Amino acid sequence: MYSFNYHRAQSIDEARDMYSSGQDPVYLAGGMTLIPSIKQRLSSPNEVIDLGAIDSMKGTLTSGTSIRIGGLTTHSEVASTSTIAALAALAGGIGDPQVRNRGTIGGSIANNDPAADYPAALVGLGATVFTNDRSIPADDFFTGMFETSLADGEIVTSVEFPMPTRAAYVKFPNPASRYAIVGVMVAETGGEVRVAVTGAGPYAFRMTEMESALSSNFAPSAVADTRVDHSDFNVDLHASSEYRAHLVRTMAQRAVAQIA
Amino acid sequence: MELQGEADIPAPLEEVWNALQDPDVLKECIDGCQEMSRSTTTDYVAKIRAHVGPVRANFSANIRMVDVVELSGYTLEVSATGGAAGFGKGVAHISLQEEESSTKLSYEVSGIVGGKLAQIGSRLINGVTNKMAAQFFEKFVDRWTANE
Repeated sequence: MYSFNYHRAQSIDEARDMYSSGQDPVYLAGGMTLIPSIKQRLSSPNEVIDLGAIDSMKGTLTSGTSIRIGGLTTHSEVASTSTIAALAALAGGIGDPQVRNRGTIGGSIANNDPAADYPAALVGLGATVFTNDRSIPADDFFTGMFETSLADGEIVTSVEFPMPTRAAYVKFPNPASRYAIVGVMVAETGGEVRVAVTGAGPYAFRMTEMESALSSNFAPSAVADTRVDHSDFNVDLHASSEYRAHLVRTMAQRAVAQIA
Repeated sequence: MELQGEADIPAPLEEVWNALQDPDVLKECIDGCQEMSRSTTTDYVAKIRAHVGPVRANFSANIRMVDVVELSGYTLEVSATGGAAGFGKGVAHISLQEEESSTKLSYEVSGIVGGKLAQIGSRLINGVTNKMAAQFFEKFVDRWTANE
């Protein structure tokens, strides 16, 4: 590793101050992407600001109508405490136990890896992202591959999910990393059906055609023949764009079948 | 890695042709480009700071223009090294065609990436190159539309 300055912030304000006064600074949440990148010398920040001591950003708060999850809450904690079963299952299927015990929801969505699971949950369940100075609807939060509407130095403090009537997440995982080659969240919340896809494109997106088909007929057959435009889908040695398009339909059908 | 596309540039053919070979214009339009200079009439050297998610890497690139057909097209041979991050090599075929009030630019790129970038980033490379190409043409087209 290259040398860098390590800071441990005790509060959100302190973290923000450290960030704005540092040169080439970076926040460290669970470190499940940042640390491997630094070890591989693919990233060499000068100032690493560890958020891990900020306890106000940890844990979940459940009310009758929603669940609010602190930005530093680990995947394993969400898996064991979320009262939204689909969200608990999604968090419990991320990576491996080591990743789930370290990785955080805030870190995952701020990084916005195209194959991460959480973006599908946020978009599919219609969540709201809270930062140190505003709230952002999930639909506006993810803006590109590894890009979000977060400003430089802005911190995800929590994410609020409205309680869905029914929801299911099904993914086709990479067998080694458990990253979603394609993952689909299908949810009905307050009478509105949402279908969100991760892994297939540069970032999580909604399948509006599937949403309207499911609104009139909530059955796997309703999405079996949906045309999926794969012109900007990801291509790698695991799957072609055509195959990913096929997986979008298949995962959507499986998710619908779980809750129809 | 393969990539192809078209861009409609609202300027006469000759202007587009000249702009595409002007190191200052290229530097301005390539995201993260910190240096771009012409070492001979057909050779360029560039330094580019690429930034994708957590990865930041500095690349030095050598670019050579070959098979130049004046006002019609050429081929670029590119080789880039990014230190610990890895390396890339590629070929880009560029062709220009005059339209009524604009110039149509078509490109076809093929290349390989090696080293750590390829090991851990293979699933991202197409997305990244697509995005870089889109950003380039957006800025390139802006040169003419922004002045109006």
